[in-house]
Amino acid sequence: MPSSPREFVLNPAAYGLPTRDDLVKLRIWDIHYHGFFKGGIPAHEENLFYVERMGIERMLSLDIGGSPEDPLGTTIPAEQNREMREYLEQHADSVSGLIPVDPGRPLESCRKMEEWIANGPCIGIKYYGGNPKGVLCSHPDNDVIIRLAAQMKAVIYIHTWLQVGGEPRRPGGKNAPGEATPLDVAKLAARFPDVNFICGHSGGDWELGVRYVRPLENVYIEFSGSDPHSGQVDFTVAEVSAARLVWGGHGPSRSYSTELAKVFDADLTHDQRLAIFGGNLRRLAEPIFRKKGYKL
Amino acid sequence: MLANLNEGQAIDRRRFVQTLMLPAALPVAAALVGSAAQTAEPTAADGLDIIDCNVHLFDWPFRKLKYAQTDALAEKLRRHRITKAWAGSFEAVLHTQFDAANRRLAEECRSKGDGMFVPIGTVNPGGPDWEEDLRRCHEAYRMSGVRLYPAYHGYGLDYADFAKLLAETAKRGMLVQIVLRMEDERCHHPALVIEAVDVGPLVEALKTLPQAKVQLINSAGRLLGKNVAALVRETQVTFDIAATEGNGGVGQLIAGTNYSYTGAIPIERLVFGSHAPFFPCESALMKLFESPLDLAELEPLMYANAKRLIA
Repeated sequence: MPSSPREFVLNPAAYGLPTRDDLVKLRIWDIHYHGFFKGGIPAHEENLFYVERMGIERMLSLDIGGSPEDPLGTTIPAEQNREMREYLEQHADSVSGLIPVDPGRPLESCRKMEEWIANGPCIGIKYYGGNPKGVLCSHPDNDVIIRLAAQMKAVIYIHTWLQVGGEPRRPGGKNAPGEATPLDVAKLAARFPDVNFICGHSGGDWELGVRYVRPLENVYIEFSGSDPHSGQVDFTVAEVSAARLVWGGHGPSRSYSTELAKVFDADLTHDQRLAIFGGNLRRLAEPIFRKKGYKL
Repeated sequence: MLANLNEGQAIDRRRFVQTLMLPAALPVAAALVGSAAQTAEPTAADGLDIIDCNVHLFDWPFRKLKYAQTDALAEKLRRHRITKAWAGSFEAVLHTQFDAANRRLAEECRSKGDGMFVPIGTVNPGGPDWEEDLRRCHEAYRMSGVRLYPAYHGYGLDYADFAKLLAETAKRGMLVQIVLRMEDERCHHPALVIEAVDVGPLVEALKTLPQAKVQLINSAGRLLGKNVAALVRETQVTFDIAATEGNGGVGQLIAGTNYSYTGAIPIERLVFGSHAPFFPCESALMKLFESPLDLAELEPLMYANAKRLIA
């Protein structure tokens, strides 16, 4: 078994696939990295084998200082937070952090943003797929978070899904309390036309999700975490252009193959692939990266 | 050879030859020797074609798929070195005239794709006269296997006629593919209410049928529940990799460290399946490279295990 991440027994190009070198040249930035989610830094370091093997240039972790059950990380020991901050500072050339916020606790969320973004290594905020109080990102009480994020030039990522279910049965009817749909992102983005948002997972049901956010030029679409559907990226590019797609890997729970394949399935130019795999995200993150002196 | 061509480390020739000399890799070695007769040096890049066990033809009822046309799909698969594809029919998922769907499928596979597609008919053991549908699949349409959709057709694997179907197919030497799901239940059309397939009863059903050839397709770890160990230990069931998730998911599955599975599945029980054209075939293809597999693992996964089931 190959022991080096750069060692391949067969040539991917012989199978109509990009080689590792091709992937590296695409400068892939992964906005949806869960490598720290279970197992912290050791689990992440173990996963780096696959990160390197698949040519991923930068990981943006969405689980810094919080978890779905405890978005603000109130139960995380201070020592663990300190280690994470140090790790992010030391590895700023390859790993970036987004901190979960809790729309049910906007003021505490803002305090966390001061601590981790204004006075820490992180570069953005993430809304999980639900929160303890069941408050949606589109709730007006949450606007204070967005205003502060805009001031900080932070990247804003919002998990969205349209889980079919409920009574009557409909897309979004089975969402968890506080789990946003793309419509919630659209409502929020309409109130903040000068702020950019990333609509995570394309709503799960991308045929619907893309259409909810299509008219909002300040909404970018990330499309990881769902099954790979042939035609998904073609459809999304046709609706909103390649300039509004952002790639996520969703590892280690999803396979990089699953997420890369969505893009390689689509009929795109090389420049469009460059934009989707990293160019668009670099454009979104540029202000805060420059402010912090991080490598673009 | 042995890419990454531009940046990666090549495996040295001695190690490559040692790998080829493993008994499990003998057919590959033979293939490479065959190609060496025509070229200067055998290379792994010359080596392995792929049998795709999980393909559908025609139209998915809920969306026009990019490669719904059989010729376009054949061309696409061939570009990725998939030379044989076991094809079911999307029509069989929701239609109830299975014989008509099977006949169209057989004709499509015969007339298009230049021999790429191996037709896999569909039978519903929960419906009327399924024995005759099965007989026609085997005798009239010369099908080597049938594909079942228990979740869509409304029966469980503890259903009495399912056991009868297993016995009948075993007698005929036919493969049975059980589709655990077609798409993520979170994204189903709201009009569909599809229960997950419980694979637990399959272990018991196969105990008295050791010769049965059964394959679970789109068998994501969560769908297998706690039955992985029993399915591996007590049956000869094979699994395709179309729905295998996780970074390095296939390698992790073989090693028993894939977080979404409750146990290991050895390489001799895995087959390549893409779920094309619903999924991009690139997804399963890239999994062959994402995990650091060696030739002794790739060869059975890419074609030898499948060939054992349908020669």
